[in-house]
Amino acid sequence: MKQATLRRLISIGMLLVLVVLFTILSGMSFLNSTNLINILRDASVVAIVGVGVTYVIITSGIDLSTGAIMAVVGMVMANVYAYTLWPIPVMLLIGVAVGLVCGLVNGFIVGKLHVPEFIATLATMSIYRSFTYIIAVRDANGVIQSQPMVVRDFTVFGGAMWLGGVIGPFYIVTSAALVFIIVGQIVLKLTHFGTNLYSVGASKKAATLSGISISKTQIIAYVVVGFCAAIGSIFTIARLQSATTSIGLGFEFDPIAAAVIGGVSLAGGSGDVIGMAIGAIFMAALDNGVLKLGVNTAVQYIIKGAVIIAVVIFDAVYKKVMDKRAKARGAGAVPAVETEKGVAA
Amino acid sequence: MSETPILEAKGICKSFSGVKVLQDVHFEVAPGEVHALMGENGAGKSTLIKILTGVYTMDSGQIFWEGQPVQIDSFQDCQKLGVSCIYQELSVIPPLTVAQNVYLGREPMKGPFIDHAKMREMTQQLIDKYEFPLSPDTLVENLGMGQRQLVEILKGLSADAKLLIMDEPTASLSAKESESLFDVIETLRSEGVSIVYISHRLEEVYRLSDRLTILRDGKNVEVLTKDQIVPAKVIETMIGKVVDESAGSRKMLHSDDSAEVRLDVRGLTDATNKYRDINLQVHRGEILGIGGLIGAGRTELVRAIYGVDKAASGEVWLDGKKLDPTPKNSIAAGIGFVPEDRRNQGFIPLLSTVKNVALPNYDIVKMRGRAIDDGDELALGERAIQDVDIRPCDPAKRVGDMSGGNQQKVVLGKWLMRSLNLLIVDEPTAGIDVGAKDEIYSILEDLAKQGVAVIVVSSDLQELIRVSHRIVVMRKGDIVKEFKNEEVTQAMVLAAGQGVESGEGTAA
Amino acid sequence: MRGKFSFNTYSKPIILIAFIVVLWLLAGSNFMNVSNIGSVLNSVSVIGIMVCGTIFVFLIGGIDLSIGALLGLTGVVCVEVINALGATPGSVFVGILAAVAVGALAGLFHGFIVTTFNIPAFLVTFATQTAFTGMSMVITGNKIVSCTQPPLFTGIAATKILMLPLPIYFMLLMALISWFVLRRTVFGRQIYAVGGNPTAAEISGINVKGRSIACYVLSGVAAAIGGVVLASMNQQGMASQGADYVNSVITAGVIGGVSLLGGEGTVPGAMYGTVLMGLLTNGLNLMGVDSTQAGLVTGVVTIAAVALDAAQHLDQSKRKAGGLFAGLTKRKDVAAS
Repeated sequence: MKQATLRRLISIGMLLVLVVLFTILSGMSFLNSTNLINILRDASVVAIVGVGVTYVIITSGIDLSTGAIMAVVGMVMANVYAYTLWPIPVMLLIGVAVGLVCGLVNGFIVGKLHVPEFIATLATMSIYRSFTYIIAVRDANGVIQSQPMVVRDFTVFGGAMWLGGVIGPFYIVTSAALVFIIVGQIVLKLTHFGTNLYSVGASKKAATLSGISISKTQIIAYVVVGFCAAIGSIFTIARLQSATTSIGLGFEFDPIAAAVIGGVSLAGGSGDVIGMAIGAIFMAALDNGVLKLGVNTAVQYIIKGAVIIAVVIFDAVYKKVMDKRAKARGAGAVPAVETEKGVAA
Repeated sequence: MSETPILEAKGICKSFSGVKVLQDVHFEVAPGEVHALMGENGAGKSTLIKILTGVYTMDSGQIFWEGQPVQIDSFQDCQKLGVSCIYQELSVIPPLTVAQNVYLGREPMKGPFIDHAKMREMTQQLIDKYEFPLSPDTLVENLGMGQRQLVEILKGLSADAKLLIMDEPTASLSAKESESLFDVIETLRSEGVSIVYISHRLEEVYRLSDRLTILRDGKNVEVLTKDQIVPAKVIETMIGKVVDESAGSRKMLHSDDSAEVRLDVRGLTDATNKYRDINLQVHRGEILGIGGLIGAGRTELVRAIYGVDKAASGEVWLDGKKLDPTPKNSIAAGIGFVPEDRRNQGFIPLLSTVKNVALPNYDIVKMRGRAIDDGDELALGERAIQDVDIRPCDPAKRVGDMSGGNQQKVVLGKWLMRSLNLLIVDEPTAGIDVGAKDEIYSILEDLAKQGVAVIVVSSDLQELIRVSHRIVVMRKGDIVKEFKNEEVTQAMVLAAGQGVESGEGTAA
Repeated sequence: MRGKFSFNTYSKPIILIAFIVVLWLLAGSNFMNVSNIGSVLNSVSVIGIMVCGTIFVFLIGGIDLSIGALLGLTGVVCVEVINALGATPGSVFVGILAAVAVGALAGLFHGFIVTTFNIPAFLVTFATQTAFTGMSMVITGNKIVSCTQPPLFTGIAATKILMLPLPIYFMLLMALISWFVLRRTVFGRQIYAVGGNPTAAEISGINVKGRSIACYVLSGVAAAIGGVVLASMNQQGMASQGADYVNSVITAGVIGGVSLLGGEGTVPGAMYGTVLMGLLTNGLNLMGVDSTQAGLVTGVVTIAAVALDAAQHLDQSKRKAGGLFAGLTKRKDVAAS
């Protein structure tokens, strides 16, 4: 427990340092309620998708296709809507269904075909993205057009919904993210599935010996990512009021970065949803603060890349130190059990 | 015992690709008894256990549970019957708590959620009952190896098993932890739980078991009752009839103490205490055998001498020169090393014999500018194939696709291409058929005749005595005994490794 | 060679010829003429150049996801240097050197981080991918930097020898060098050893860490050469001018039998993969499918190729090692033979 708590404090500390730094550098233009609410909004979609991505990373997997799934989901919804004009809630269901299918495909390729996670999702990233291009509307010259879709002012259960709007001071997407984070954390910590995720990530062999199905756990985790990406896409469309082929381009990096910054180890078996959420806020605050400093998006990219490498190196060194300490206490790395010799002929 | 055995296995046979691993084995466990299972490496203990727990399917034979014939095909079947197995390879999940591990896959539920409070309480009850030094909420990753083993044991106990199989449970426990495990076993026995206890350590077996089944070469040779379990008798039964040691079939190798010392190890000590303050000398033309139980620190020691792992302190001298052991330096100094884990450390499975042989030898392969002279490389490979007699000889065949004997010959052959001063071989014939074994022995003997110093680490007592001029025995990181070839018997080496006094002439 | 399928031994030429025949039948002389064949090869020349370097990283079981971004960055660096030095012939050499230096540095960085901290290569290169794109954008001010002078620079792509564009010859030259290094030198042998079994390689006295770093450097350098050629083709430098190449290079390698698990694969194989990719895209083009949609096909092909590879490895390990309880079956198997 102690080690995880320490890591949590570290990520909160990093976030605080960032906030203090930007406050010093750009004063109240950074630290005011409107801007903070904006930061939370910017972090929200990342956090929603991040719930699924966290699950996958805990199993020691990865998902690079989230941005492309968002694009497919958005484009399918907008296209179907344009042709049928069915009610929005039906569109949302269709969107979720598309996301689930995409996740299932990923899960199948990883869990059943045993293609390494990152190569599988790198390939499906280009498949889903290409599919988006294929179904996109074109004008007479073959130039791809954006497909408008207004996801607002529709009624569900007699109440008006506006997904792009606000509840109280916060954007709806932020509230949704909060729900995702809470539910995601509960599922992770309080259900069989959650325990299985950790088991698969920590030791596939031990998990198998305990009767846990590796491929089933992996597949469900990827389906969850598909679901989360679909919801993320719905909120993105709600904000943009249209679907374009570039939705989610480069997005896949953000939830992974958020998870890593929040202490979800890429080696699998550790971290949680709340950590990822802190990471998502950190990333959003970083983007926002850097912009407030008048730095352009290009520098943001460099800073993002550098920060994630720094955090990953930090984690690697940190883990080494912890292992060394554990070893000194007599714990730590499992010694090589010489099982082979036990059965040598 | 007149009661119906809780488990009875009759006529169990199992072969792997034609080699009989178990032949007509009979094994039974009475209710509430601690039944020990012993045998040398390769006697078939693990195979038997894996058949009993549904990991392997037997070729023929029958298993009875409380008198009824049963089929055990899976982990789930075991659980249904009430069989729990505590594996030697730990199956605990480090990032989860003790309680989560104990009830992994069988968590108490409250609606859709795991009832953590109840799970913790149940775990605490188990901990209290068996007086383990554990707390339900500790993360397993913060526990030492011994405590992790206790969690594994708790996991087995929590399933309310009627039969508990323990495979080397004390392998990573401290003396104190072992004691508390023995108390647990006593408690379980009094509760009527049957235990199958597999161990290499005689002292534990004497102390705990009601009966002892000894396997040898895939057959059960003897079932001893408590009053029959005497060290000398057990050792004798495990080793079998010691015909091989009678003068005729055994080469009496005399070491020449006056020969110059080639390897001199001074005070070598491991950082994690796997071996301590080791002093060792190997003379010109001498084959030194290192015996002892698995985990005694033999492999770690020779790895440090060669330089794969670094020792914390101590010195290695070769021919009067101090070495800084790293693989590169060792190769340059004329040291060859054949690692214990052939498949994972010995060779490159995807590469051919020629390329495997050439790998450490490119300093002696002819070059054309920057390019390797393929002809010379091939010639080197073919020379190795000749020298170690690899058959069938296909220089281009991937080593991964060859038989174990040939693979080991490749690993050995690559060192023969160099002028060697010292060769270290760790378990040189593990999993190799008899013919290839003999060939490997004669290669080692030829090397010694040429003046090379040779170190052989082996768990095969017969082998150790056959090839070594001198044998040192390690136990828990120390060299505890040294024997000359002409005075040693298998029983003496085994007893020294066990830390028990062997009666003289136990294996006459 | 895997003895199991005899088809495997000859599968590459068979598939290649089948492809050519199908395209020939479909498109007739639109396909089978020197200029189209030239353009097919030209279109994959940058991929081919890159794969010649990245194959080293694949062979040690690593991956380099940054090569696409690096392609853009090195192109930008080269173009900017040439423009800054007044587009003299000499500036072209300086520009190329600068690009190669950037590529080498990037590779050095990857290799150092991956080996020192034992961090998954894909993560490091994934992160630097973002950073490199950012750097290109900073350098160019996120604009397209055109470079139409001097002729020495534009000639890199535009010159034709024997009716075929120069980049094809660069690809062949790179392939030749890579092939030589991997097939004929000690370094090459050691790379296969490191990828096939790092522990055994270490015991054989190979500096595994150093060799690994070298592989990442070679990958970076090849990306830089690709970047220069691409910049010359487009007569411009642009941050996003290589984004799509990562997938293509990985696909080319994988189709060509380069295992992402390391230790297996050859330069001729990778070249075959590259050419097949070119034919595939060309075929799709002739059928009126545009390049944005080709990703669907390459993605599916990648998954199919890797899944097949994984199935074979799984099959082998099952056959040989018996899965979870590897020791026993393996030993007994061995004893039997």
